[in-house]
Amino acid sequence: MIRFQLNNNPVDVDVDPDTPLLWVVRDHFKLKGSKFGCGMGLCGACTMHMNGAAVRTCTLPVAAVQGASITTIEGLGTPDKLHPLQQAWVEHSVPQCGYCQSGQLMSASALLATNPNPSDADIDTAMNGNICRCGTYGKIKLAIKAGAQAINSATVQTFDPRAVETQS
Amino acid sequence: MNKVSLTRRKFLLSTGIAATGLIVGCSVTRANEIGYSTVAGAFEPNSFIQITSDSEVIFYLPNNEMGQGILDGLTTLIAEELRVEPGAIDVRHAQRHEDYTNPEMGMQATGGSNAVRGQFLPLRQAAANAAAAVRNAAAQQLNVAADKIVLVNGMVDVDGKRYPYGQFASLAATLPVPENATLRSAEQFDQIGRERPRLDALAKSTGTALFGIDAEVDDLLRAVVVRSPVIGASLISFDATEARKQSGVVAVLEIRNGVAVVAESYWQARKAAALVDIQWSKTELSSWSSDTLYEKFVETLNDTSQKGLECCNEGEGGSLLENSAIVAVADYYAPYLAHATMEPMNCTVQIDGDRCAIYVGTQSVQVSAGAAVYYGDFDADKVAMHPAFLGGGFGRRVIGDDVAEAVVIAKQTGRNIQVVWSREDDMTADFYRPAALVRMQAGVSEQGVIETWAVRRVGPNTMNYVLDEWVDALAPDFLNKRFVNWLSKFPHSLFNRFVADPSSGDGIYTDYDTANKAVYHVTQDPGLRTGFWRSVGNSSNAFFKESFIDELAHRVGMDEVQFRLANMQKNPRLKKATELAAAKANWGQPLPAGHFHGLATHSSFGSAVAQIAEVSIENNTIVVHRVTAAIDCGMVVNPGIVRDQVEGGIIYGLTAALYGEVTLRDGVVQETNFHTYPMLRMAQAPTVDVHIVDSQEHPEGVGEPGLPPIAPAVANAIFKATGQRLRTLPLKLS
Repeated sequence: MIRFQLNNNPVDVDVDPDTPLLWVVRDHFKLKGSKFGCGMGLCGACTMHMNGAAVRTCTLPVAAVQGASITTIEGLGTPDKLHPLQQAWVEHSVPQCGYCQSGQLMSASALLATNPNPSDADIDTAMNGNICRCGTYGKIKLAIKAGAQAINSATVQTFDPRAVETQS
Repeated sequence: MNKVSLTRRKFLLSTGIAATGLIVGCSVTRANEIGYSTVAGAFEPNSFIQITSDSEVIFYLPNNEMGQGILDGLTTLIAEELRVEPGAIDVRHAQRHEDYTNPEMGMQATGGSNAVRGQFLPLRQAAANAAAAVRNAAAQQLNVAADKIVLVNGMVDVDGKRYPYGQFASLAATLPVPENATLRSAEQFDQIGRERPRLDALAKSTGTALFGIDAEVDDLLRAVVVRSPVIGASLISFDATEARKQSGVVAVLEIRNGVAVVAESYWQARKAAALVDIQWSKTELSSWSSDTLYEKFVETLNDTSQKGLECCNEGEGGSLLENSAIVAVADYYAPYLAHATMEPMNCTVQIDGDRCAIYVGTQSVQVSAGAAVYYGDFDADKVAMHPAFLGGGFGRRVIGDDVAEAVVIAKQTGRNIQVVWSREDDMTADFYRPAALVRMQAGVSEQGVIETWAVRRVGPNTMNYVLDEWVDALAPDFLNKRFVNWLSKFPHSLFNRFVADPSSGDGIYTDYDTANKAVYHVTQDPGLRTGFWRSVGNSSNAFFKESFIDELAHRVGMDEVQFRLANMQKNPRLKKATELAAAKANWGQPLPAGHFHGLATHSSFGSAVAQIAEVSIENNTIVVHRVTAAIDCGMVVNPGIVRDQVEGGIIYGLTAALYGEVTLRDGVVQETNFHTYPMLRMAQAPTVDVHIVDSQEHPEGVGEPGLPPIAPAVANAIFKATGQRLRTLPLKLS
């Protein structure tokens, strides 16, 4: 039995321990947003967060996520409550066929979590593992920058009463 | 089309197996909901539109969405004439029915960049008729003159008082539907031509858009098929003793093209499949490798006793070539290519006695349904289609081979089956863009007038393998199966021996004003199956033509833009696109040190595209910094999607130009995954600027025309940078 957190919910699963996490999430937990693209960790369509870092789950045995916290595109945001990057994706009409975009968003959100103001080179590096066959790279870059800006301005505007108390 | 027959409604309803267990995503457009259903009290003027008494407007999308934005484009046409916001329309994938036939193709299919062009008038007419019917019903129900009524944003407006459409649905359903309601004029358009976020962007940014691979039905088993490494070889024998012992394996069975391993989960099936030991027959293809095939192409090209099939012969053909002041000859080569859609091929079949339901991302609901009928031996009215979003199509998902395998396995096991292809399966069992070796010959006057244009092509054709599959899937019910089996090998010999496949000559002789033209194609086919690949023949022919045109410009000593413009007087659209691209790229102006511009122009699918690539060579690597593109595609429905499609075509074409090559060893495709068949990634992607020529002409294609010019534009820039004329794809510096 392998136990882990899936989108902040504790889950357990009894499957062959070498089963890639991707297939456990898709076929066992029926979360279909993460996609199968290559099975070799080459295209990034299966990208999820493991303890906050972007990982290719088509090659990650489920045994390796014992006790870990896994986030999928479904945990990043929902149509009613979008992550700022998803908002930017929609506003800039990033997706074409859309198949790779869950993976693109998971790589991009992992980047912004550690690097709130990425340069073009930072973005190229972080997104290098994600292929888009429709050629939406230009739009993805644009939307990452827009999403970063939205997150940063929201952070600046957040009123934190504790901060005020500390100052006084 | 506008005659609503009860028979049709019954047909659409009777085929449906309830989509039990299918996860319905919460997309903006609900395009995940499938199938036609009659709603009590709804107004159903035609097969495309329903207006319910709750004022819900439903649009049955006749084409399939694979990224090209057709969901958006066609919904906009409906919205324009029906006077509703596109985002308020509930868009659903259309079932299999003749009412959804592609007007240009004569079959229910998506391809050839023709959806907006073909549906621009029919769908607007369908919506305008529906709007007129709502107006008539409202006039009667409210007892006002029809000309007092204004339709606005899904509401009937009478002197400022507004009523939702749904209030008139019941009455409208009883009144005759006007057949030729007046269409809105271009000056009135407030939806067509407007830039707006894509309707499917929300679903596709939240993981809620459903692709074929996401289908879930009750008691679903997963299957993996082990296909012959040499496509088309037959199975002699197999040993599945070890595979059958593996956990979760339910069945191992021989099917028409290999061995299927059926298990409770994909991973179990995939692991067990590796343990099946299979003996395969040898075929003609087994004797071919890329180097021997290339040698054979060269031999055939030089063997002029083989005249080949005529693609074009105008004026004096090639006979006056030697009379010109400048005679140029050059041989070019383009390899086989795989599609590599991001979503590997897959198909899900739910089986229920003599009925089945097919869940698949397909470019042709008709071909997919037909494949189920033919290979699964189902009656046509017992097959329910559940088309999904496509994770890329590019011409691959129009053949039905995915459905054929899945229905055979479901039928043989009597179980619900999902077949998932691995990336390796997908790449090594494709229908490939054919390779071609081409001899370009031209006679040009000293003033730069192209007097003779002669092309001799050698290679496989495009359509024969696809047509072989289509005959099986599309043969009408009244033909008996043995006849269909015989017929299905007919297109193959037709194109290989008697008539030039129109795809082979696509775009290689039509852009320039040459009085004397001759294009001949000699079929040289090792037996590797071929098919439609985004932009089809244009994908390689534009490279041959536009690289060679550059060579001619240099021979004459003219600027590449001026030489082209001088020779395209009868091609005003391409001329405009070329002028626009040259102006926007500042053609002829200084560039950063080490950067060079290359130009290519090409018309395809009714549209004209010019591209200027800015290229430098760094550490002997080709770097494409920026592409400035101009397209004349007639009237534009959504400029954002036009720009995206041109940019997408450039990136897809650049992957092919820089890396794309499928090779054979003893008949086996050697490229298996993205490490051996690499894709352009973000860091290599150029900045792309797309400019649209302002036009009020009928809309033309945009899904494919952006692709063909990029390879020659880059090759032409490389020539300026290095003096190397690269005549072989992919482009490799020596």
